[in-house]
Amino acid sequence: MKPAPFAYHAPETLPEAITLLQRFESDGVDAKILAGGQSLMPMLAMRVARPEVLVDLRRLRSLDYIRAEGGTLTIGAMTPKRAAEQSALVRETQPLFHAATELVGHVGVRNRGTVGGSFAHADPASEYPAVALVLDMELKAVGPAGERTIPAADFFVTYMTTSLEATEVLTEVRLPAWTRGTGWAIQEMARRQGDLALAGVAATLRLVRGACTGVRLAAFGVNATAVRLRAAEELLEGQRPEAANFARAAAAGAGNLEEPMSCVHASSEYRRQLVEVLAKRCLAEAASRAV
Amino acid sequence: MARGVLKLPEDLPVSVPRFVGKEVTRLEDPGLVTGTAEFIDNLSLAGMLHCAILRSPHPHARILRIDTSAAEAMDGVAAVLTGEDLRRWCNPAVTAPEGWGSYSMAVDKVRFVGEPVAAVAACNRYLAEDALEQIRVEYEPLPCVPDAHAATTPGASLVFEEKGSNVIQSRVYDWGEVDRMFAEADHVVSNTFRWNRVGANPTETFGCICQWDLTGNALTCHGSYQVPRFMALGRSATLRLPANRIRIIAQPMGGGFGGKGGPRGTDIAALLSRKAEGRPVKYIEDRIEYLLAGGGQSWDRHYEAALAVRADGTITGLKVKLLDDQGAGAEGYGTISAAKPLAAFTGCYRIEAARYDLTLVATNRAPTYPFRGYGPPPHYFVLESLVDMAARKLGMDPAELRRRNYIRPEQFPYVVPSGNEYDSGQYEVVLDKALALADYAKLRAEQARARAAGRLIGIGVVSTVEPGVFDWNCYATVGVPGVGVPEGVKVAVDILGNVTVAVGFNLQGQGQFTVAAQVAADYLGVDMHAVRVATAASDVALPHFGQGGSRLGVSVTGAVLGACRKLEVLFCRVVAHLMQTTPEQVELMDGRLRLKANPAVGMTLAEVAGTMLARSDLLPPDVEPCPEANYVWTAPGRTAPDEQGRCKSYLTAANATHLVMVEVDRETGQTSILGYWIVDDCGTRLNPATVDGQIEGGVAQGVGAALFEEYVYGESAQPLVTTFVDYLIPTIGEVPSSRKAVVVTPSPVSPLGAKGTGEGAIHTTPAAIMCAINDALSPLGIEVRETPASPRRLWQLLQQVA
Ligand SMILES: Cc1cc2nc3c(=O)[nH]c(=O)nc-3n(C[C@H](O)[C@H](O)[C@H](O)COP(=O)(O)OP(=O)(O)OC[C@H]3O[C@@H](n4cnc5c(N)ncnc54)[C@H](O)[C@@H]3O)c2cc1C
Repeated sequence: MKPAPFAYHAPETLPEAITLLQRFESDGVDAKILAGGQSLMPMLAMRVARPEVLVDLRRLRSLDYIRAEGGTLTIGAMTPKRAAEQSALVRETQPLFHAATELVGHVGVRNRGTVGGSFAHADPASEYPAVALVLDMELKAVGPAGERTIPAADFFVTYMTTSLEATEVLTEVRLPAWTRGTGWAIQEMARRQGDLALAGVAATLRLVRGACTGVRLAAFGVNATAVRLRAAEELLEGQRPEAANFARAAAAGAGNLEEPMSCVHASSEYRRQLVEVLAKRCLAEAASRAV
Repeated sequence: MARGVLKLPEDLPVSVPRFVGKEVTRLEDPGLVTGTAEFIDNLSLAGMLHCAILRSPHPHARILRIDTSAAEAMDGVAAVLTGEDLRRWCNPAVTAPEGWGSYSMAVDKVRFVGEPVAAVAACNRYLAEDALEQIRVEYEPLPCVPDAHAATTPGASLVFEEKGSNVIQSRVYDWGEVDRMFAEADHVVSNTFRWNRVGANPTETFGCICQWDLTGNALTCHGSYQVPRFMALGRSATLRLPANRIRIIAQPMGGGFGGKGGPRGTDIAALLSRKAEGRPVKYIEDRIEYLLAGGGQSWDRHYEAALAVRADGTITGLKVKLLDDQGAGAEGYGTISAAKPLAAFTGCYRIEAARYDLTLVATNRAPTYPFRGYGPPPHYFVLESLVDMAARKLGMDPAELRRRNYIRPEQFPYVVPSGNEYDSGQYEVVLDKALALADYAKLRAEQARARAAGRLIGIGVVSTVEPGVFDWNCYATVGVPGVGVPEGVKVAVDILGNVTVAVGFNLQGQGQFTVAAQVAADYLGVDMHAVRVATAASDVALPHFGQGGSRLGVSVTGAVLGACRKLEVLFCRVVAHLMQTTPEQVELMDGRLRLKANPAVGMTLAEVAGTMLARSDLLPPDVEPCPEANYVWTAPGRTAPDEQGRCKSYLTAANATHLVMVEVDRETGQTSILGYWIVDDCGTRLNPATVDGQIEGGVAQGVGAALFEEYVYGESAQPLVTTFVDYLIPTIGEVPSSRKAVVVTPSPVSPLGAKGTGEGAIHTTPAAIMCAINDALSPLGIEVRETPASPRRLWQLLQQVA
């Protein structure tokens, strides 16, 4: 369990990092960005990933920040998850994202693992991509051609694949601030505390004159990327926040999922069941927070 | 003069014991928790090479060709080893029964995924792993034997062709009139059960540094060795070296639990050293190697079992039929693991007759190795589940049914049908204390309310006996030669009154160094910090065994007491000579050798030792200048097995009742533990904190076995669980914090009255949790009879009644 040989660079600035990535790209050298290493290091150790070069972003202190400006919460890609978890600003400005952060791994993993790393890694069982879909987050990337902002819906392509170019660095994640009255919830089924989820669901909704509205629901851990449960959203829109309605919506959402993945801990069928149960429970929890 | 056997701490020669029976701080912990103890990976030797092992991707395949030339040509590679070297230099592993062992590296064919096929010694581990990628192996896949049932199917492929069958051992033990008991029973409860593979997972995997002395034809191995003396004997057999030329140095260990393995890794590193001109070779098994093919897989068992019960609840007979998947051979002493339940086959109960029908088979799964408990955890899962099923059938409370069948205090010493003798116990007192601790009546009321509301809440009440202080006599019945299990120590007093206890084992986490120091300090009346406990290498240590079979706390206590008693006799003679009196007039008390008639007159230990070492002129003529004593302890009264395997095997019988309340989520199949209560009786608690630690750890592993851990194999014997992402050891988030209480029934036969207590919790916890889950499911008319009761498994079951 030792990595295959690789060359190592730790640039001081973002432009330097991009120059390096661009150089390796044009030389046909397989380079990979290293952030907190919580996912990449085990892959290197098992020789599942064998890049020729690592470009370590750890010196880019300029990508470590949490700010709220004009109704948007922005978090630098190199911010440790633990910092987001301990930030009162994050908790108050976007409680769903905060709750999701608490579900990621263990304290040690959150200490080393970065916020940006989780988005770039695009693990289908990660909480963040589902939250990104529910909240319509935006991801900011910088590459040789400058900066671009990518809506979450366009960012996650498939299993562990994003729309980032090999020469681009994810620099920031952007979240709309929570608006008072919006109900939210995130629930997952993991075998143990801190494990990646077998399945999970994140939700937001509002109540207007006793009816559910603006329902957003996404599942993670079931398909190649997090997925919106649109059938559930549509069914619940305009309905009263009652158990029977949540159950009906959840069943529709789970029923319309593409064939979920299967592993030693959960069959495809069981994952579908989990999504239904978690969606139902999430909707009830979100509704209980909505006013 | 010296005293006889010390039955209780009060018998020690101190006014009041200051250490024995107290929660003293453990001596070994600073080094263990700071990592400064000399764990094997902390050790480097000059000129050391690093080993990496290429492992088979096939469960069963012939090896056609191995090309190592590219690896050998790499800079920094010192030696490459393949099966050809083993064929030339080695023997296959010795097993019982004979002939079911492989070479330490595959010769001609591979028998499981992960079996070593080639190995490299290089300047560093990175390079060694790079070199593995350069080795080309051509395989011809063979039909495989994926599981125990397939092993006995006619026409099955053979794991060991020369054996002509995959059955390693098959025999039936009959104890008493089993058939009559079942014929006369009012009720028979019978069922099938499945215990899936789990195993030990110490924090530290196996590691060693081996150095072959090419001129002296001798071998030195430093490593995380659980049982050094046996390791030396085993290596002698495989490496064809005289055992006294093999020096096994046990380093402090990051846990063991029986799964440390090591024979294959040691042989491979040793042979690489032999090929690399005698340079030391380090091998550190990584976690994937450990999970794939280390010593961490145990108990792959299929059961059919039945209980004969009278209408009044009296249990009269037990039949257990076991089909045990040993994996690719018997190198891991699996027969012993299947035989261990003989020591407590009928648990806490007065069951008159029993039958054990045992079939051990070879498959193309990884070989199984020992794991804490060594057999009873699955056995008690079966027995206790049957008792609960009987209670449901009779409409009796499960606690009451158990109470009715317990062996009663006045019946001890009690011989169980399978032959072992239990020394003492008060099972009903333990049960009642547990029921009171948990407020059982209130829990049942809570359960009734929850059930009415549609929730699945269940309670498990399980009692077990933990056989303690093993001896190998009972294993003779499964073909393992009767080997004694002694424990030897040397106790030495120096000229300044410091005490050194030399033992043959090293730290593994349980705290036996502290126990040895507690006993020595209280016997000799010195401060614990004046006592140093040190490990002697296998080639010079006294006969010893070390940790295993819930024996070492009791055994090392017996050994230290024995050595101290010899010192006491010696010192009394010296002092009597100095004071011109007879030894009978001198006694040891509170660290002084004093005149019985005038206790104010006496000498300190340091004065006596100093006189002995420095003033030969003052010594009695036949006394050597040696203030030291050796003692090798062994359990008294052990007997040879009869033709049905019956013998006095384990010296002590501890007892516990675990009570657990669980809730099963009807929609997800997930089990939550709502409460956990434990009352145990292990006789004298030499160090109550250590006993507590043993229980906590056993509960954690029991929770793992009941709910989380499982080595899953695919249909073609491919291991599907090879990392900690999938092998789920419960964390602090899943292990309940239990409430505990204690009953103390000192053993009448062991030193200071202590009973072996390293395994009781893992014997009990899986059964207790499984019983609680089935209690929760009982209103639905379904039951889970397969471990672990994972959410997926329970959900599938719940689907049947959805
Ligand atoms: C025990 C354990 C439990 C875990 N549990 C969870 C869990 O419950 N939920 C969960 O979501 N995750 C979990 N993880 C994964 C963890 O959250 C990782 O930290 C995260 O996926 C990656 O972040 P990182 O900073 O460590 O990135 P790295 O491991 O360094 O990199 C991951 C990938 O992202 C790329 N990358 C990283 N940063 C950037 C960037 N700024 N721009 C472009 N590409 C980049 C890298 O090239 C690499 O491909 C767990 C991990 C462990 C070890």
